[in-house]
Amino acid sequence: MMDLMSQNTKGQSPAMTSPAPMRDTKEPAKMMIEVQNLTKQYSDFRALDHVSLSVRKGEFVTLLGPSGSGKSTLLNLISGMTAPTSGTITIDGTDATNMPTNKRGLGMVFQNYALMPHMTVFQNIAFPLQVRKISKEEIRRRVMDVLKLVQLEHVADRRPRALSGGQQQRISLARCIVYNPSIILMDEPLGALDKKLREDMQLEIKRLHAELGVTMLYVTHDQDEALTMSDRIVLMRNGRIEQQGSPAALYFEPETVFSADFIGSSNLFSGKLKTVDGSKALQIDGAALSVPQAQSASFADGSDAVLLVRPENVRVGGQGAASAEHNSIVATVKDTLVLGGVVRHFLTLKGGVEVIAQDLNQPGMALPSRGSEVQITWRNEDARLLPADPSFSKKQV
Amino acid sequence: MTSHRLPSLAGALFVPLVAWICYLLLLIPTLIVFPISLGNSAEMEFPPSNPSLDLYRQFFSDPAWWGSMIQSGIIALITTVLTIVLAVPAAYALQRSHIRGQGFVQGLIMGPLLVPVIVLALGLYLQLGPWGGLNSNLTLVLSHTMLAVPFMMLSVGASLRHIDPALENAALIMGASKRAVFFRVVLPQLASGIAAGSMFAFLISLDEVIVAYFITGPDTQTLPVKMYSAIRWEVSPVIAAISTLLTIVSFVLAIAIMFLERNQRTNTG
Repeated sequence: MMDLMSQNTKGQSPAMTSPAPMRDTKEPAKMMIEVQNLTKQYSDFRALDHVSLSVRKGEFVTLLGPSGSGKSTLLNLISGMTAPTSGTITIDGTDATNMPTNKRGLGMVFQNYALMPHMTVFQNIAFPLQVRKISKEEIRRRVMDVLKLVQLEHVADRRPRALSGGQQQRISLARCIVYNPSIILMDEPLGALDKKLREDMQLEIKRLHAELGVTMLYVTHDQDEALTMSDRIVLMRNGRIEQQGSPAALYFEPETVFSADFIGSSNLFSGKLKTVDGSKALQIDGAALSVPQAQSASFADGSDAVLLVRPENVRVGGQGAASAEHNSIVATVKDTLVLGGVVRHFLTLKGGVEVIAQDLNQPGMALPSRGSEVQITWRNEDARLLPADPSFSKKQV
Repeated sequence: MTSHRLPSLAGALFVPLVAWICYLLLLIPTLIVFPISLGNSAEMEFPPSNPSLDLYRQFFSDPAWWGSMIQSGIIALITTVLTIVLAVPAAYALQRSHIRGQGFVQGLIMGPLLVPVIVLALGLYLQLGPWGGLNSNLTLVLSHTMLAVPFMMLSVGASLRHIDPALENAALIMGASKRAVFFRVVLPQLASGIAAGSMFAFLISLDEVIVAYFITGPDTQTLPVKMYSAIRWEVSPVIAAISTLLTIVSFVLAIAIMFLERNQRTNTG
């Protein structure tokens, strides 16, 4: 195991040691993809609803969302595999709304690799070059170069079927970068791989992105993947963009209950805002929670709201009374799970509302016993007040 | 216990027994021509009193016989090529695109499978007669192609269903033209389906007697038609030798088809 790990870190060292080259810091950012008011209507289902999105040159943008949110539809419209009902697509400054797929100059990596089973690995990677009528020697050189880049020179003469899933996806990546498309689309490329391999491949894709300076549009339903890899995350829901921003912005400053729930794990307290002693508080079942006052200014008295508190911000066994800056409530411990590096507490408040708290695991840490009552606290600056969303039902954790 | 044992006993003994009886009933008429073909008298005899290859010699020395064999072979070959050219693009188009009236076109192509061959033969005879299309290699090839196309469609269609449409999209995105996608991505993967369909087409044309009997004449007579006439007018024992030869050809092709289909399953499964 140790051996494997050290080998792995060695393999990934280029990504660790060589920082990403700085690109486009001075000149105004060039837009590689511009999508405006794009709509895709199927007979009784609107897969994409007036979506506008711009992707800068060299940017790594992830379309994140649950299945049916429209992220794959958007990708298919950009690739030209489906035609939009209305709206425009501009690729590298050219109107591409009605351009045939094969003229768009894109690269794409698929979840199921889409390698040609009747061709060897070499022939697969050579295919896009042959289509471009490049000379035989040049093809040979470029294919071998790119095989070296993904560290799979030794499988050139094998059939894709004879390779593992991870190797096939690296070949599929190689086939994509061999002809230097300015934009690479990726449709859940790591979805079919197991966890360990997925993490290795995330680093590999990041490394290639940094080395090649290519624009990436990446589709996934895996929030961890989106948070790890992206420059910008576009969170989608029901054919619309729910929120977009840097991974940090989406994690720390979600604007809707849906964003808060989809990215990271979260405690979401729903209730009514009431003014008590001049400051607003959230009435939930059996308790009143103090809320960040600055944020509460935009909420009317008596309106429905949701308070987001990330589990890692909830302290168990803390001291101190509740204040305007601080919440402090009694909760009953339902269960405590030790998950290696972290400890997760499942608690219930008096009114039956469930709370999750998360701590870093430490040697000799005293764990509360099941059924015992503890004081839980969090700072209001770590909490976020969001408008209630009647159409949203919390997913089962 | 007994209620459990009874069906398994039936399964273990009764079903194979019935199956073997059926196999034998089907096989014996085919197999019996083999010993007869080794006879040497002027009449058919079973079992042959003095086994020899005389009947085969007789067949190959009579130009009227091997001439119609060559005629059959050429007709079957051209039919096969024409069937490939027509059915492969048609199967691809019907499966990949959404054409208006797709089901109707599909039904039209598969139609010859449902109409009794004798009805088709009579219809062709009545239709081609006034047009002067009888006793012509062209109409014979076209008629056989009509009979063979459904089989090619089925065989190629089955291969097509094994091809991931994402492969074609991937090729398009990589910049390949639709032409290149068809010839370099789709066609190579259909190879075994086309091969199996070709053997069907070849066999159908080679064995076909009813339509050929109606629309061929003295210049275009195929081997099965010649055999049928021979039975009616002369009852020559040479027929046993020809039957054996045809059986061997069919058998070899059928084995090849089975092998191809198995190969395809393991390749794409």
